[in-house]
Amino acid sequence: MKLLEINNLQKKFGDKVVLKDISLTVEKGEVVSIIGPSGSGKSTLLRCATFLETMDSGELSYCEEKIVKNENGKSVYPSKRVMKEAHSKFGLVFQNFNLFPHYNVLKNVSDAPIRVMKRNKESVLEESRRILKKIGIDDKENAYPCELSGGQQQRVAIARALVMNPDMLYFDEPTSALDPEITAGILRVMKGLAEEKMTMVIVTHEIDFARAVSDRVVFMDGGVIVEQGKPEDVIDNPKNERTRTFLKKLSL
Amino acid sequence: MQKRMLKNKLSVLLSIILLCSMIMSIIYVSAPKVQAANEQKTFTVGFDAEFPPYGYKNDDGEYVGFDLDLAEEVCKRNGWELIKQPIDWDSKDMELTSGSIDCIWNGFTMDGREDDYTWSTPYIDNSQVVIVKSDSDINKLSDLKDKIVVVQADSSALAAFTGEDATDENKALAESFKDLQQVSDYNSAFLNLESDMVQAICMDIGVAGYQIESRGNIFRMLDEHISSEKYGIGFKKGNTELRNTVQNTLLAMKDDGKFDEIAKKWGLETSVCLSSEDKFLDDSQSSNTSSEQETTNSPNKLNFGDVLVQLLNGMQATLLIFVLTLIFSLPLGLLITFARMSRFKIVQWLAQIYISIMRGTPLMLQLLVVCYGPYYIFNISLDQSYRTYAVIIGFSINYAAYFAEIFRAGIQSVPLGQREAAAILGYSRAQTFGKIIFPQMAKHILPPVTNEIITLVKDTSLAFALAYTEVFTLAKQIAAAQASIMPLFVAGLFYYVFNIVVAFVMQRIEKRLNYYH
Repeated sequence: MKLLEINNLQKKFGDKVVLKDISLTVEKGEVVSIIGPSGSGKSTLLRCATFLETMDSGELSYCEEKIVKNENGKSVYPSKRVMKEAHSKFGLVFQNFNLFPHYNVLKNVSDAPIRVMKRNKESVLEESRRILKKIGIDDKENAYPCELSGGQQQRVAIARALVMNPDMLYFDEPTSALDPEITAGILRVMKGLAEEKMTMVIVTHEIDFARAVSDRVVFMDGGVIVEQGKPEDVIDNPKNERTRTFLKKLSL
Repeated sequence: MQKRMLKNKLSVLLSIILLCSMIMSIIYVSAPKVQAANEQKTFTVGFDAEFPPYGYKNDDGEYVGFDLDLAEEVCKRNGWELIKQPIDWDSKDMELTSGSIDCIWNGFTMDGREDDYTWSTPYIDNSQVVIVKSDSDINKLSDLKDKIVVVQADSSALAAFTGEDATDENKALAESFKDLQQVSDYNSAFLNLESDMVQAICMDIGVAGYQIESRGNIFRMLDEHISSEKYGIGFKKGNTELRNTVQNTLLAMKDDGKFDEIAKKWGLETSVCLSSEDKFLDDSQSSNTSSEQETTNSPNKLNFGDVLVQLLNGMQATLLIFVLTLIFSLPLGLLITFARMSRFKIVQWLAQIYISIMRGTPLMLQLLVVCYGPYYIFNISLDQSYRTYAVIIGFSINYAAYFAEIFRAGIQSVPLGQREAAAILGYSRAQTFGKIIFPQMAKHILPPVTNEIITLVKDTSLAFALAYTEVFTLAKQIAAAQASIMPLFVAGLFYYVFNIVVAFVMQRIEKRLNYYH
């Protein structure tokens, strides 16, 4: 099943075209990495897919249900109710975590399922603790974000996304704000999720990680998808000149 | 150890030197003034600038009046320079005692104050009269029963009703009123009367005649008078030398007709009573008994505790303004913040205009507009109880504007990522604000909000503009009655302690929220 389908997405900021005619499909269980130089539109694509930015034109479906329609070359968004339903399909892990500083770890993770999804409090707390344990941070449930290291905060952020039971997870450069020795731990957690067949779209600069976990790598530059395919094709044998230049710069 | 002691001693020494030099500089600065007073190059007359025709500000913005004309002539004849010093009537004794004015010359009633000043002989005989609206059904003094009557604070009208020498007749009359209120100036009194918040004003006949005429005869005077009294010039107790000089000049002016000419100019010729036959009040007693009298006859001085008890009502009133203003202005401020940050441009503008007016005009002016505006703009007659509401409304709408801007800064200080994280997790707009943004904003804005609250404690004293007797107004009244500055210190202490409590509570709250950053 196609979990995500984007067709002909265009996005401008003022006069500047950031995304030109992007189309992208993600199948259930697939892990897709998006790589590319900064300013290429990777993050904007992710923000459009998660409704943090509105699309100018193009259409978008979740679970083969059309959410954003394209009418007369303009994107049209549905009612609040439909949007709320669509929001429940995905989770997003931010580059700088964005944990709620006034809530402790357990409340950060469990508040949305209890308050927004109106799930049973006891079972949510139980599940939150289980996930925190799985992610390796169960001893910190009473700590506040300011008392945690960056790596620990990002683990909590991943747990917070997982407790919502999303169909897929987006990661926006999840390790860019972390020290190198902490990065490995987070990548290991994500690799674990990939092995459990979690559908993931990851914007990243970690080429080795992308090669190791991705089913597909997408290379973006200048607001378009330049090349996509299996990691061994795109990363190790890029066909396009721009991809080659980018990868060469990274390896130097 | 020794070194440290030496250091301590040194710092104590330094502070003493600093303190001494401060005192010296104050003395030095004020010294030339004292000298000038001795040589009597200048003559400073203290007067209430809202007391026509005796002394007031005319249409050209100059201080004029019967008493000031007299003073001008006296100065001319003695080669002095006249300084017209408008004073706050409640503070007249402090002004005189401190030497910042040479005399009080301003339709100054002698009755009941005989021993408090060194007096000239009386020069005007005045009566207290009652003023009502032209269409009022009050025609004689007995009609004032169960009515609200207003007088100027510390005026002769007030003394006629409640002073130590008030006649039993007048006391009984005052008892029959529904309420006897005090305002700080006659203009407020007429505002109150015109907007039906009170039914009658009691004041000096000379002032009354002038006021009724200049206000277009929508008021009238009752034929029955309340009491008769005499005006004199009050000098600092014991300053007979200056008094005698002025008195002699006045008598000379009376002889050559200049005095009557000035009286005629101000329409007071029928009230003039200056005569060379009159004796000085203090001449009739030997100096010994006079000083004895001062100690026995001076109003029974209140001690600290008594003043505190007398101020309790005022403290309650201040507390009421404070608490109610906070209860109303904080939520109102949040509402204005929402309007200010609204998606609709027009709502944004309205909020911006509101904030700009509230911050750009004096709070006292806003209080007056809120209190008297309904009558003058919409012609709505207002009940006496509206005064309290007006105070609360005025303070609340003013403080809401300041709080709104603090809230806006607070909301903007919460990182955008917090909103985005909440959106991704599916929080509604209300949930995002209430559960995520507001708690973080509250932590950020505590210091500026504490500032505002402390300012509010002190600003409550502005309620005196609406004759609302909070602690400061009351302290001024007691200070005037007692001729003592102590009640003001007690009021100051009250504000200070109040603010220490506020600061302490806010600090506790801040500590409470310190569990994260």
